[in-house]
Amino acid sequence: MTAAGTAESAVTEVRAARRPRGKKLAGVVLPPAAALVTGVVLWELITVIWSVPGYLMPSPLTMARTVKDDLPAMWTPTLVTLRESYLGFVIAGAAGVLCALVMARWRLFERGLFPYLVIVQTLPIVAIAPLFVVWLGAGPLTNTLVGAMIALFPVAASTLSGLKSTDRNLVQLYTMAGAPPRVQLLSLRLPAALPAILTGLRVAAGASVIGAIVGEFVAGVGGGQGGLGYVITESAVQLQTPQLFLAVLLASVVSLVLFTMVVIAERRLLRRWHESALPADE
Amino acid sequence: MTHADIPVRAAARPAPRPLAEFIKAEKVFGNGFRALAPIDLVLPAAEITVLVGPSGCGKTTLLRMAAGLTAPTGGRLVRHTDRMSYVFQDPTLLAWRTVQANVELVAKLQKVPRELRRERASRAIDMTGLAGFEKSYPRELSGGMRMRVSLARAVTSDPELLLMDEPFAALDEFTRDKMGSELLHMWRVRGLTVMFITHSIPEAVRLGHQIAVLGTRPGHLIGVVRSPSPPSPDPDAERDEAALHEFALHITGQLGGVRA
Repeated sequence: MTAAGTAESAVTEVRAARRPRGKKLAGVVLPPAAALVTGVVLWELITVIWSVPGYLMPSPLTMARTVKDDLPAMWTPTLVTLRESYLGFVIAGAAGVLCALVMARWRLFERGLFPYLVIVQTLPIVAIAPLFVVWLGAGPLTNTLVGAMIALFPVAASTLSGLKSTDRNLVQLYTMAGAPPRVQLLSLRLPAALPAILTGLRVAAGASVIGAIVGEFVAGVGGGQGGLGYVITESAVQLQTPQLFLAVLLASVVSLVLFTMVVIAERRLLRRWHESALPADE
Repeated sequence: MTHADIPVRAAARPAPRPLAEFIKAEKVFGNGFRALAPIDLVLPAAEITVLVGPSGCGKTTLLRMAAGLTAPTGGRLVRHTDRMSYVFQDPTLLAWRTVQANVELVAKLQKVPRELRRERASRAIDMTGLAGFEKSYPRELSGGMRMRVSLARAVTSDPELLLMDEPFAALDEFTRDKMGSELLHMWRVRGLTVMFITHSIPEAVRLGHQIAVLGTRPGHLIGVVRSPSPPSPDPDAERDEAALHEFALHITGQLGGVRA
């Protein structure tokens, strides 16, 4: 500390933080909204200035028209894809947690099964989807299962690692109290693994949509029953680029719907006990 | 032994019955590491035995042995009870259960009937000053409060032997003192036998009826010293501070001998 003047100017005053709710929300919503508007304006300018042909890159205005004209027709394929990926997600979630429980309970199963789970994960999904079509025929069932297949591994792997990283002292406490392994697994390790399971499910939400759409690429069922994957292949072949863009956009909406479901579940389940679900300030 | 045999001096403080005994107990780990040289130690019933010693002297191994979590590789351990509770350095609570559920946890795992469990839990909650926090979750509590939950849980399973591995080490000094008082209170009310590990000599002197001093490489017992002025069943009894001060210096001297 030197002169009194320096000391004085170094004084920092920390006032009680008051954050009006509206202002906080604006802080969350405004930056991405501004980025969106800027992006759309730039996009429009680029297509106009270089007169980019519509089949390469439709301008935002063309897109707006497409949304208005084609959106009603897109309802059915979007719902088809949503249903397939949702079912695939649920199947993968249930099967993944079950696999992990069995592997965590009996090491023999972990040693025996885990390598094959890894192998399933390394199979290129685009290559395996036609095989499913051969086995099960083209249709929603095939697409659902392709989605489930690629969503399974993230759930199983994440859950297993969660089940195996329970606090050692808690395990010791259960052991001393004479709790059998089944009780330890279901009443201690499973709830303790919940954050890890939810992380797995977040990844699975996106994966199941990818699987379903790849299934639809291959299955190629028309009449709206082929889902967004079919719309995407068809529009690409016919150079219906605006429609293609719209389908891609809707596919990402489907992903978002599933992802949001997981996030909401996460908030509700972990609200009172896990650090990851807390507001940053607490 | 009949009453006639009891010498006059012991009549003032009857020779305590041992609740657990280490007889030449020894531990060599699978990799050949010798954690504990053969140790003889008696845990007298309804007394607090404090273990002090530098890190790596095998205190925790000894405690885990008493808990039946690890077996001696030589010698033996004789324990006259199976009713034990273990308290860890961390509160070790279920983050997804309320205080009430956490306090009842071990008793529930031991299949203590619901009514009895409730009754014991509410007594433990009152005794540890947790009343009003039954519905809170662990992360909503301070470190000291969480440790209280851990203590309440330990007594709700109605133990005879309480095994405590540096239970208050992570707390600030003020809270630590308060928790020491809680422990003495629980000891008075329930006549518990306690095996208590600490690094703090003041804490050891305040809580212990006897202090076992351990040394390292391999872990061995340097000596067991009885307190000149141990905690009394009467909470208002005066303690001989001068004698306790001497006692602390004596323990420090014994530990100092290890470092030299």
